[in-house]
Amino acid sequence: MSRRDDVLVDGDWLADRLGDPRVVIVEVDERPLIYRQGHIPGAHCLDWRTDLQDPIARDLPDTAAVFGLWGRIGVTPEATVVFYGDKSNWFACFGFWLFRIYGAKDLRLLDGGRQAWVVEGRPLGRDEPVEDIAAEAAVARPRQNNRLRAHWQDALAATRNGVQLLDVRTPAEYRGDLIAEPGYPQEGAQRPGHIPSALSVPWDITVGPDGKLLPDDELRRGLADRGVGPSSPAIAYCRIGERSAHTWFVLHELLGQNARSYDGSWAEWGSMIGMPIAVGDQP
Amino acid sequence: MAVKKQTESAEVGRKVALIRTELGRLRSSILRIEQELGELEDARQETVARRDRPERYLQVLVEVYEHGGQHGVDADGLASIGARHGYDRRGLGGFFTGARAPLRRTDGRIRLTAHGEELMDSYLARTGR
Repeated sequence: MSRRDDVLVDGDWLADRLGDPRVVIVEVDERPLIYRQGHIPGAHCLDWRTDLQDPIARDLPDTAAVFGLWGRIGVTPEATVVFYGDKSNWFACFGFWLFRIYGAKDLRLLDGGRQAWVVEGRPLGRDEPVEDIAAEAAVARPRQNNRLRAHWQDALAATRNGVQLLDVRTPAEYRGDLIAEPGYPQEGAQRPGHIPSALSVPWDITVGPDGKLLPDDELRRGLADRGVGPSSPAIAYCRIGERSAHTWFVLHELLGQNARSYDGSWAEWGSMIGMPIAVGDQP
Repeated sequence: MAVKKQTESAEVGRKVALIRTELGRLRSSILRIEQELGELEDARQETVARRDRPERYLQVLVEVYEHGGQHGVDADGLASIGARHGYDRRGLGGFFTGARAPLRRTDGRIRLTAHGEELMDSYLARTGR
């Protein structure tokens, strides 16, 4: 049994478990309103802007907030939490990463996310599940584990200590041709470019056109082609930390690599005074 | 001689004054024209923004987003989506025309443009319960 079997599920697996009280289904979208067009029956909608971030500071929610969230959607120590979402699971992976940081044990990702479920013609519901499901004593206790998270200091150290930096944005963003793609004006930074020594490893080399993750051997080959070593620790970054969570999922959860996500990413690095920046095709 | 020079100087002064007056009038006209043009352009923009798209048009955008994900749909996929909402292939051409087209085709895959995403977001906000 590969690691893939522990963390990645397909539509059949999930369809067989709809209505199972031990399975908590969570949809996390870039556009949370798409959930209301129809969602996997019983799925909770988490808004990455309000549920998966601190409401004031640009930071992850604290332990108390995560405990409250887990109580709201019924995350007990025995629960299996299944994430899925739009955009090939970008924000679903962010949610997965966050829950992993806080120690949730049994986490799964629906391969292909919302796109796959819809394209396969599986059932969609419109009813939103009732909240306040778990009594306080039954809720799993979140404990923060920062070994999965990198800060800018870690990324700075990685420019000289051999930790691999993976820039998973588009090649144009990596080169410094643009700061953010059209449609993301709120995700700007003061300077374009990439972190010196970072490899350009666009997140989408890991998925097929159907949004599903490639088989492990193809993942390894694609990463190796981009210069990523399988045994060295890695830090992935993007613009605000959602695409880097996707690549973190591939590295850490599927391939078992020592990997962290730098969620501050380019929105932080490219706006700070005095940070080293490289432009062009080369690391 | 001195009188002639004084006369010439007065003439130059008068001409300068006339030119300055004319320049002032031109500046006022330019300001007024720019203001009127801006008002007309604003009104035109509002008309464009207010233009209601039919429900089926917006549903096509939602389905392209849903079925295509990050990579978009292919031509046959778009044709199927269009057919479900009453558009034949020719009718779907309208989704690609104009500076504010909602769909774009790149390497055979069809995705929403930034404007298409704006239209879809407005629709989702309007129809969300």
